[in-house]
Formats: sequence, C-alpha cells, structure tokens
Amino acid sequence: MPSDNERNPGLVYRLRLVFRNDLHLTSIGFGFTAILLAAMAATTWWTGHMQDQAKRQARTERTQAIGGTLARTTEVLLADGRLPRLRRLVVETAREANLARCRVLLPDGQVIADASPDLITLPELPASWPGQAHATDGQTVPACRAFILAIPDRGEAVLQVALHADTSGELFWQTRAGIGAVCVLALVTLTLMHRRFRSTFRGIWAVRQALLARHDGQCSPSALKINADWGMEANAWNSLLDQTDQAQRQTTLVKTQESLRNRRGECSDLSAACEALAQGLVLVDTNGEAKYVNSAAAVLLQSRREDIEGHDIATFLPEEEVAEAVRQATRRPMQRRRIIEAERHDATNPLLLRFVVRPVRREDSAVAMIVIEDVTQQRVAENARNAFVAQATHELRTPLTNIRMYAEMGLDEGQNDLACQSNCLSIINQEVGRLDRIVGDILSVSEIEAGSLRLKADDVRLEELFPALQVDYAAQAREKSVALTFDLPPKLPVIQGDRDKIALGVHNLIGNALKYTPAGGRVSVTVTVNDGRLGVVVSDTGIGMSEDDQQHVFEKFYRSADKRVGQIEGSGLGLAIAREVIRLHGGDITVESEVDEGSTFTLTLPVVEGAPVA
Amino acid sequence: MNIVEQECGAVRVLRPDGPLVAKDAEDFKARLHKLAEASLGRCAVDASAIQYADSRGLEILVEAGEEIARTGHPLKLCNVNDTLRQVLELTGLAPQFEFFADTNSAVRSFL
Repeated sequence: MPSDNERNPGLVYRLRLVFRNDLHLTSIGFGFTAILLAAMAATTWWTGHMQDQAKRQARTERTQAIGGTLARTTEVLLADGRLPRLRRLVVETAREANLARCRVLLPDGQVIADASPDLITLPELPASWPGQAHATDGQTVPACRAFILAIPDRGEAVLQVALHADTSGELFWQTRAGIGAVCVLALVTLTLMHRRFRSTFRGIWAVRQALLARHDGQCSPSALKINADWGMEANAWNSLLDQTDQAQRQTTLVKTQESLRNRRGECSDLSAACEALAQGLVLVDTNGEAKYVNSAAAVLLQSRREDIEGHDIATFLPEEEVAEAVRQATRRPMQRRRIIEAERHDATNPLLLRFVVRPVRREDSAVAMIVIEDVTQQRVAENARNAFVAQATHELRTPLTNIRMYAEMGLDEGQNDLACQSNCLSIINQEVGRLDRIVGDILSVSEIEAGSLRLKADDVRLEELFPALQVDYAAQAREKSVALTFDLPPKLPVIQGDRDKIALGVHNLIGNALKYTPAGGRVSVTVTVNDGRLGVVVSDTGIGMSEDDQQHVFEKFYRSADKRVGQIEGSGLGLAIAREVIRLHGGDITVESEVDEGSTFTLTLPVVEGAPVA
Repeated sequence: MNIVEQECGAVRVLRPDGPLVAKDAEDFKARLHKLAEASLGRCAVDASAIQYADSRGLEILVEAGEEIARTGHPLKLCNVNDTLRQVLELTGLAPQFEFFADTNSAVRSFL
C-alpha cells in the first residue's frame, strides 16, 4: 500500500529518495567537496590579491615619501649650488632606501645626479638652464616616480625615484599557480575517486535496490539482475541470483517430478487395479481402436495385448452385434450401455462371454468401454441347476404318480377287495420309501452343491465296515442269484472321515453292481491298502457301459440310454453323490467298463493322511 | 506323477497325485499351463494328493499362479494339507493363492 508521500511526492520525500540513493550521495559529496575546494582556492587567491594590493600601496606611499623628502632637499641643494652634496645624498638615499633609481635630470635630459655616478652626464651644474621639466617616468624602470623640482633662479629639474622591482608579486603569482595546480590536482583526484567510488557504490546501490525490490515482492530474476559491468558486487549479486534461480528451478523440477511420480503412481495404482480385475476391460477411442486392454481382456479375447492395443477392436470381436454396439457407443456418447452375451463355439472349451458396452463421457479420446466377463461357469451352473430341478421334479413326480394312482385304486376297489387294497398299500409304501430316498439324495446333492455338506471326523474302522456290508448285501445277492465275494486283507486300518458318508459311497458302488448285474453274474469287492491309500475295487459282470456313458455316469440324474438301464429303478443321483462325498474326503471314484462285459469302479481314499474335514 | 484332470462344469480341476518335486514339476507346469490356456483361467488345483513340495515345486506353483493371475483369477488351491499350507505360509507365498477346503468351493468361486 503506497503512502501519501509515495502517491504525491513532496520535497521531503524526494530528499529521502535522494538520500536513500548512495550513488546520489556520492555525487553530492563529490560536488560539495569540489565547491569547497574551489571556495578555498578563491579565498586564498583573494587574500593574496588583497595582500598584493596593500603591498603596492605601501610601496607607492614609501616611494612618495622618499621622493618628496628627497625632492625638497634636492631643491635646496640645487638652489644653493651644492651639487656634490646632492650627488652624495642621492647615492646614500638610493643605498639606504634600496632604490632601483634615484636620479636628478635637467629638462634637456642631462643627468646631474644619480645613484650610479657613472650615469651622470653633466659634471657641473650650470647656473641656469632653460626649459620646462616634464614629469615623465623612466621607461626602463617600472613604477618610477617623477618629481618636478623648481629651482629658484636656475630652472626646473626632475627627480626620478624608483624602488626595486617587488619580487613578492612573482611569488604571489607562483603561489596562485601552486594553489591552482593543487586544486586542479585535487579535483582530478577527486574526480577519479568519485568515478571509482561511483562504480563501486553503483553496484552496491543496485544490489540494495534489488533487495528492496525483492522485499516488495519482485521475484523475477531478470528484473532483479543488475548490470554486470557495475563491479564485483554486481557479478556476485547476479551469480547469487543465478544460483537462487537455479535452486528454485531445481526445486520446481523436483516438485514437478514428484508430482509427476505421484500422478504416475496414481495411474500405476489404477492400472494395477485394472490388471487385477477378473473382468476384461477395453477402452476404445473414437476411431474404434483399443486404447487400453487389461490382461484379462487379452486372455478372454484370446490375443496378445500388444496385438489388440492400437488396432481396430472389431477385428477381435467376431460377434457383429458386439462390434456394432462398440461402433454406436463411439459415435453416440449419450447411448445407454448394452449387455450382450456371445457364445464362442469350441468343442472342447465352451466359452460364453458377456460384453458390457458403454460410452465413457470424457473429453479425451477414450469414448467407449467394454467390460468382458467370462460367464461360462455361471451358464453351466445355471443349466445344471435347471436340469437338476427338472430331473428332481421328474423323479419326484414318478413315485407321487404311483402313490396317487394306487391310492385311488385302493379307495375305489379296495373296499371290496382286501387283497387289492393290501397290494395298493404295499406299493404305496414302496413308493413312499423310494420318494424318501430320492428326497434324501436330492438333499445330499443340494448340500454338496451348496457347500453346506459337513463331514464328521470319525474313526472309520474298516474292519467293521466291510463285514457289515458283506452281511447287508449277501441276502440281496442270493435273491438275485449273483455271486458276491469280498476279498479283504487280513488287517484293515482305521481311517479318519465321516463313517456314514464313506459307507454311503461304498454302498452305492456295491448296490449298483448288484443292480446292474443279471442273475448268474458275479460281483467282487476287493479291498487293498497300498502306499497309504485305501483302494476298494468293485467289479461286476453286468451290462457294462459305453464310453459315452462312462463320461457322464457321475453326473447328477444321468441315466444311460440303454434300454436295460431304463427297466431298473434309479434316480441317477447315487454315483454322483458317492463320488462327491469320496472326493470331499480327498479320494476319488473312477470307472472302467465295457458294454456287456461288466464294470469296475475303483474307490480310493487316503489312509495315513486324515481326510480334510469340511 | 499321475495327474488327473477333472471337469466341474466349465471349470477344470487338476489333481496331481504325489509330492510336487523337481522331477515332476515340469510335467505339472506344462499340464497346468495347457489347462489354464484352454479354460481361460477357469481352473483349480486339487492338492489333496500333494503330500509336500520342494523348492522347484513351489517355484512352479508361483509361476503358474502368476500366469493365471493374468486372467484376474489367482491360482485356486483346494484340499491343501497342513504341510504344504505351512510351507506356503512360511515362505510368504500363501497370499498369491486362494485356498479352498474342497473342490466344490473352488469351483463355486468362479460363479
């Protein structure tokens, strides 16, 4: 905020400005000193001049006094005719008064007396002489004073008196010349010193002005720099400015780089996040070219990322619907997102991709985003669930139909026919049991599917399990006229697991073997323990399975297309459940079979290592 | 090493039978690579029959995990016994994998 003085600069302010300026002070000092020197010189000159005047006056008065006295005496002596006396007087007076000339002349110029007797031209004094004397001063002696003498009865004469030349005048001029020379020398010296100090103070003053400007907020190095010719201080200041500027630039550069690194870091984090996505992500620019492709997208599009980026994305989208959606999204940014599911046919590797195409409302060229999701497993699971529901419904419907039919029959005909009634109730009872088994199987499958099936951690004593199985199935085998043999090792270990579930798995294998082995056939159960694994091999000489059936025999509700299988009651859940529960114990069930030759199911379970308990 | 491949829906499960050691590691790696490539990352390893793993076996698991991670899915290990689990945790490799109690859980994680 400028002060009033700065807005309306007055005398005081201007003086402050002047005196703030060292350079001005130097000039003022120089001027003041020069004036003082000149005044001193002038005073000295004037004093000398006045002294010279006074000396001249004194000389004049002395000449006048000496001449006047001598003139009166000369008149008396000439009147008396005492020339020798006059001549002695002249000589003595000239000597005593240190006169340069002391001469008595007649009007005709004849010298009758002189301080130097050799210059006397008239030895004798005439009695009278004509003519009129003139008061002419001597030409050869400066400052010569002439006195007219009136000699009674003789005539007029002239007395010339002159003092010796005053040497003090020459000294005076020499003194003035010396003073002038000293003054000139002093001025020259002062000028040189002024120039020197000015050049020195100019740099210091400029530095000071720059500091004040910096204090007032001026930060531009170009504005703060001073003339490099203004001395070492100027160079030092400029160097300091350069260093400061360089340091500031370096600091700015470091900050910029740090900011850039932070931005890059953010970008890097964002990129890393995109890379971690299980969904494919593709950004497409206005030209339909892929700007960014994450690794999942490259995998799902079954191409290399570098092959996709920078190229037309439609090339990698064989589904025309998807490609068209991308084109529309890039052309019409206000369009809503589109979800397209596309199945890529591959006999061995089914693949169902879900494309979500949406425009990105941004100013840059990334105008469309494609999110690609592999929903194959979801679709498979959905289909399996639908099939399961359909099969379960079908399986439930069959016993329910029988129950309803025999219940109606019992109600209609059983009142009069007890045998029929009993038969109907028996069948209903069987169907209820079948229904119970089916519901139990479905629940088991559901638990397995939902992951909620929990296995107990029991000690399963195989030495007790297999003899019990042998007893359980002996009667059924005899009833079907099938030879059931058990080949058990002398000692069976105790394994960890869910006894009921492991028994269920083995039950299913032996039950199926007996079920699909016609009368006269054989079923053998061989139990081995090798390398810490329990092996249960159930072989039969039954109807066997084709290779296709073997591929699907463990699928839920799968029933072979073989007509002989259709005549045998079954839900198609037993083997699926058996394998799942054995797998949950860390084991597995595999099958080898030939049509009409029989089947061999092999169940393996870890013995030493306890089965994981879910 | 016997390596069994199972299909659980669209998910492939590889079940190596035996310790994951140097002599079998390359075979396992090749099978897993092929499986991951074919299934686009929809795969899991049933480690119920892997009793232990040596340094090369761990290295193969890490390499396979990194490769499969490109799909956005970490390598899913199921039925991992305590020995292998402890080795993975002690070596600091455990965070690179997803662990499941059983195969079904691993398969369901793709839903």
